Amino acid sequence: MNSSDAAVKAENLCRTFGGRLAVDGLSLELNPGEVMGFLGTNGAGKTTTIKMLTGLDRPTSGTVTVFGGDPADPATRAKIGYMPEIAYYYPWLNARELLAFYGGMCGMDRRTVKSRSDELLETVGLADAAKRPLKTYSKGMLQRAGIAQALLADPPLLVLDEPFTGLDPLARIRFRELMRSLRERGKAIFFSSHELGETELLCDRVAIMKNGRCVYQGPVRDIAGDGCGNLERLFLKTLEDAK
Amino acid sequence: MKFFLRQTAALVKLSFLELWRRNDVFALVLLALALMAPLSMATPFGAAGASRCLDEVALLLVWAFSLFVSIGAGQRLFRPEFESRTVYPLFSKPVSRTRILAGKYLGALASAWSALALFYALFTGSALLRGTGFGAALPQAIALHAAFVALAVALSLLGSLVMSASANSTLCAIALAGMFFFGRRLPDFAAGAGGIVSWLVRAAYAIGPHAEFFDMRQRLVHGWGAIDPLAFAAVLAYAAAYTAALLCVAAAVLKRKRL
Repeated sequence: MNSSDAAVKAENLCRTFGGRLAVDGLSLELNPGEVMGFLGTNGAGKTTTIKMLTGLDRPTSGTVTVFGGDPADPATRAKIGYMPEIAYYYPWLNARELLAFYGGMCGMDRRTVKSRSDELLETVGLADAAKRPLKTYSKGMLQRAGIAQALLADPPLLVLDEPFTGLDPLARIRFRELMRSLRERGKAIFFSSHELGETELLCDRVAIMKNGRCVYQGPVRDIAGDGCGNLERLFLKTLEDAK
Repeated sequence: MKFFLRQTAALVKLSFLELWRRNDVFALVLLALALMAPLSMATPFGAAGASRCLDEVALLLVWAFSLFVSIGAGQRLFRPEFESRTVYPLFSKPVSRTRILAGKYLGALASAWSALALFYALFTGSALLRGTGFGAALPQAIALHAAFVALAVALSLLGSLVMSASANSTLCAIALAGMFFFGRRLPDFAAGAGGIVSWLVRAAYAIGPHAEFFDMRQRLVHGWGAIDPLAFAAVLAYAAAYTAALLCVAAAVLKRKRL
């Protein structure tokens, strides 16, 4: 597989803020049909990495490509569906208008946006609230609207920053099923999370960050073989060992 | 091309909806209606001079309201997006920052122009009810006012990228209202002042947005008729150049802005 086949390829990625290394020499690769969980404590560099993967920020050094393209290029960003960590959307719009706006930003025609919106609002369980202004939504509902906007243009790569935040148990189950069906359709999914149980259930591979450095990368199926038993124990052991 | 048009249309619609779904513009329209309706019915002493005075008051209201709407429309374009972080999903879409700026500017302009059209409809209606007509000067005055609004929205948009909403609206209001009322007196003031003050005033006159160029209130009120087409075209060209310069600076600032 050459580098352009990889959904995401980061090589020696670094980002500094005023002399402080937020991300330090991160290298990773994510292939189509793969789900990668990106774990770490607060301030470990997860969101900074995600910003570089989605073209929202530029690395200080190192390279990142998405399907072989630079994420700073709008044509490459057309292949990325991104959901930010905190789901703030325009409060004066309703969910349908929000999706129509983002559909327009993706260059989709009105008819396609309408049919995709209907389908996605149903999928994320917002069909009944589709005409309510977003300012009346709960945190979980906003999170679901965020998932819908990320999936709207049916991108081959999904980058989700803390997607489980605010979701109730039922919504989590539906979200997990949705992610699995997307993986079966060959989508690459990269998400950061603090929810270790959910991550273990969903991911093929995990990467663990500590103080900007990637201290573990490996398949989830190997976790039992690591003598840790589950992701939570692996996470704690990895952070402990990385001291 | 279709891709570009869809993106621009989405941004225009977003800015337009934002302005009209917030209550402050509706409050302004209602206030304008409440102030201009009595003006249309008033015939103080049955004198034409008094009627002109009412026209002057009504036009001043139109200018004040349009200034408020223009600054308000521009100042919301970027600062609130950065503060509320809606900028993240927006900038992650396949669209360049320059296109986002252009689309948002056009949307704010469309909403400010729609408010201006409403204010002039109220003004013209109230004047017609009193039996006042303005002839060819009125379309010219509206066109120049619309050009001023385009400039004011661009200035406020630039401000929304570099300062807080309150600082932006205060500075824009001072710059635009200051030039509107005192702009034409600045050269005399500079000549009278000495040393560094004179240079500062001259610099302010050279680079400031000349709001006074767009003001045709006296011509409308006193029935002096339309202005020379060449002067009219020159003022429109000044507005276009000034607006384009502001938008170019704003595009450069946005391109370098770190999220």
